[in-house]
Amino acid sequence: MRRGPGLAYASPSLLWLTFFFIAPLLIIVLYSFLTPGQRGGVDLPFTLNAYRAIANPSFGKVVVGTIAVALAATFFTLLIALPCGYYMARSSKQTLLLLLVIIPFWTNFLIRIYAWIAILGNEGFLNDLLRWLGLAEESVRFLYNRAAVTLVLVYTYLPYAILPLFSTIDKFDFSLLEAARDLGATKFMAIRKVLLPNIRAGIFTAFLFTFIPIFGAYAVPLLVGGTNSYMLGNLIADELTKSRNWPLASAISLVITLVTTIGVMLLLRFNGTHILEKKHEKA
Amino acid sequence: MKRKYFTAIAAACVLVLLGSCSGSKDRLYLYNWIYYIPEDVIEDFQKESGIRVVVDSYASNEEMYNKLLAGGKGYDIVVPSGDYVSIMIAGGMLQRLDMGKIPNYANLDASALNRIRFDTGNRFSIPFMMGAAGVSVNKTKVSGYEHSWNIFERNDLNGRMTMLDDMREILGAALKYLGYSVNDSDPAHLEEARLVVEEWKPNLVKFDAESFARGFAGGEFWVVQGYAENVYIEYEPSRYSEIDFFFPKEGMPMYMDSFCILKDAENVEAAYKFINFMLRPDIAARVSDYLMLPSPNVPARALMTVTPNYQFEDLAKGEFKEDLGAQTLLLYNEVWRRIRVGN
Amino acid sequence: MKKPDFIKAFSFSRTVYAVTIMFLFMPLLVLVLYSFNESRSGSWTGFSLRWYVKLFTDSSDLWRAFGNSAIVALSSALVATVIGTLGAVGVNWYRFRLRGYLRTITFLPMILPEIIIGVSLLVFFSGLGIRLGLFTVFVAHVSFNLPFVFLLVLARLEEFDFSIIEASRDLGATELQTLWRVILPLTMPGIMSGFLTAVTLSLEDFVITFFVTGPGATTLPLYVYSAIRFGVSPVINALSVVMILGTVVLAWSMRRFLKNIAAK
Repeated sequence: MRRGPGLAYASPSLLWLTFFFIAPLLIIVLYSFLTPGQRGGVDLPFTLNAYRAIANPSFGKVVVGTIAVALAATFFTLLIALPCGYYMARSSKQTLLLLLVIIPFWTNFLIRIYAWIAILGNEGFLNDLLRWLGLAEESVRFLYNRAAVTLVLVYTYLPYAILPLFSTIDKFDFSLLEAARDLGATKFMAIRKVLLPNIRAGIFTAFLFTFIPIFGAYAVPLLVGGTNSYMLGNLIADELTKSRNWPLASAISLVITLVTTIGVMLLLRFNGTHILEKKHEKA
Repeated sequence: MKRKYFTAIAAACVLVLLGSCSGSKDRLYLYNWIYYIPEDVIEDFQKESGIRVVVDSYASNEEMYNKLLAGGKGYDIVVPSGDYVSIMIAGGMLQRLDMGKIPNYANLDASALNRIRFDTGNRFSIPFMMGAAGVSVNKTKVSGYEHSWNIFERNDLNGRMTMLDDMREILGAALKYLGYSVNDSDPAHLEEARLVVEEWKPNLVKFDAESFARGFAGGEFWVVQGYAENVYIEYEPSRYSEIDFFFPKEGMPMYMDSFCILKDAENVEAAYKFINFMLRPDIAARVSDYLMLPSPNVPARALMTVTPNYQFEDLAKGEFKEDLGAQTLLLYNEVWRRIRVGN
Repeated sequence: MKKPDFIKAFSFSRTVYAVTIMFLFMPLLVLVLYSFNESRSGSWTGFSLRWYVKLFTDSSDLWRAFGNSAIVALSSALVATVIGTLGAVGVNWYRFRLRGYLRTITFLPMILPEIIIGVSLLVFFSGLGIRLGLFTVFVAHVSFNLPFVFLLVLARLEEFDFSIIEASRDLGATELQTLWRVILPLTMPGIMSGFLTAVTLSLEDFVITFFVTGPGATTLPLYVYSAIRFGVSPVINALSVVMILGTVVLAWSMRRFLKNIAAK
């Protein structure tokens, strides 16, 4: 890496995000230290009450539940996305394959969720199929539990994992794999030891693109979750709109932001230094 | 070549965007519940008055209120429910109305107006529609039940019932079941209500305010708490007889949605014209026919051609939801959070 | 190209890809089916085109919402792609002040819950006295699309062979020529992914849009969400089918152009 017109390249991003993201974020920081207004919104005086309220054990329960669902969904998403990205990268019809992944997502999200409800419901297509095949007599309940939430989340975030994996695998030098094979590595070994370490940046990005949005998921748990599928996204939205406690909603969001940012920074340090150092050598 | 097309399309988009910033003053901006006023009624108003109406929709009071509270501007008329009318009055968001400009106000049912506490005397709000969430039962699947909230105690219907994802509706139902007011602020009564809901909760599939009606119509849910109009729209008229929609005998929380003119409205005269138009008997009857709900507009009732889902008299056992005030709201929130999250 | 040894691994990944595509398209099949259903309920009562008739004769609100969505999605994705790509190039090749700051703030919009971003932007816009409308929606969408484009392009650039750039410079190319002729073509898959992701995110967003939109600037997701209690009208299913067909036709007619991008 070297000095040069880096700032010129980066300044549009810098300005845009600072102006339209950091500035509004500061408003939220301010709000989190204020008192809830009588009718919503915020009021003076400054207080730490919102942060004290987070210590409430019911929040901990929601956080743990959310992390469990988010980890499971991210894991399955990556598991599916890796071979997909690999296949797309090796194919000669990349654009077509890319569009096939994306096009389903240009249909309204809610409509697709409703379609899932129609597929998975007690009287849905899947249960009809099972009954027709004689595999089930009573309908199986697929919906309205955490498994359903996880499934639909995987569905929702798959393309966001496939895309970064595809674009990093695409620039991977596949002859390395063949070389490893020539040296006697099994296919599995070659992929694990040669391919995966080389596409770390992509895996990392895919992880971020899925885990973080799932962490704040709101609509999916609302629509296909049951009485026990309340997630952090729902909690924050309810605090803000129904309870009209803006400071508490702000404080919860900031704590999540802070914790996640630290997590990302640590991951970046462990994962990223390796990548960056190599570049230093090249440069 | 193609790249040029692309750039041109994008540039056109940006231009349209910039052009869209400027608002127009000869228009009436109405912020209303979705599907609350049929499109042809709006068209007729436009034809009669020459005023263009731009309609945006919301699905809950909370959405509308938070949007306005955070600084959302540009609307002339909103249609909040009673509890939000009083919140918005106290927040100074509404205009004091000039009744001389709304002569059709006289058409409204005095018995309904007398029960209003959120804006006694209607100084800021003009009632539009009233109703309540009730219980719908699929008669082909469930029998041997009373018209009571106790239907949610039946664990043989476990996994086939839903209640609204709405603090006021659920706690209101439980409070009524216990014989208290839906606006009760006594912590001991609320604790009792919480225990009632905790008893219902294991029998429920979910708290749902979004897709219960579709699940009900599809045979997935057999007993749902919710609004009649949401349920009936999912059914073909030939199957209406399968639905038993009722208000539990113990009573239920009730809403009154009212037209209000916002303080920063730009087109006040048009707003008055619109509200007065909506209170005209023929128009009110068309709206009620469309919604299949009873009308609070007395002369409109005779003009209705559709049998409503319930009668105006059925609402007698209901009680309007009032604003709880900040302290009691905190209490409700705490109880609701415990129910929602688990202890 | 010979692909002897890895032909098996290749077919495994092909199977996964094929199954995944089926998984992704499954809800769309349901949607197509429903759009031809006679009744508006969930059960099949007979074939009918009535929802398509309604879509093309009596759904001006829906089309307006669709138009707003298309305008915002295309313009915000384009702007976010340009800005984000430049940012990624800068961060990847050069060392400069504020580099660490930029890397950090690009994560934030992904982390912060949408509803909070929505409210904070609304408070911000109304504080500045900016009139709410499609323009504010556009600004908000660029803001949450930017990090995705930035990270996608960056993932592509990382481990890129820096010597190519050096070579281009040594051969006398200017900074702009290097960017246009060398860096951009090599990054194209990342940029394409970024653009497509941005379009998708923008078409899907409901929560943030809800807060920053103004009178008359309803987008498709807003329209659908506000109608959700009344079930999803089959007219919206019909519109979705028309949209999918439109996308396919568009992609087909532009296949030469798209192939060129892929070839680069």
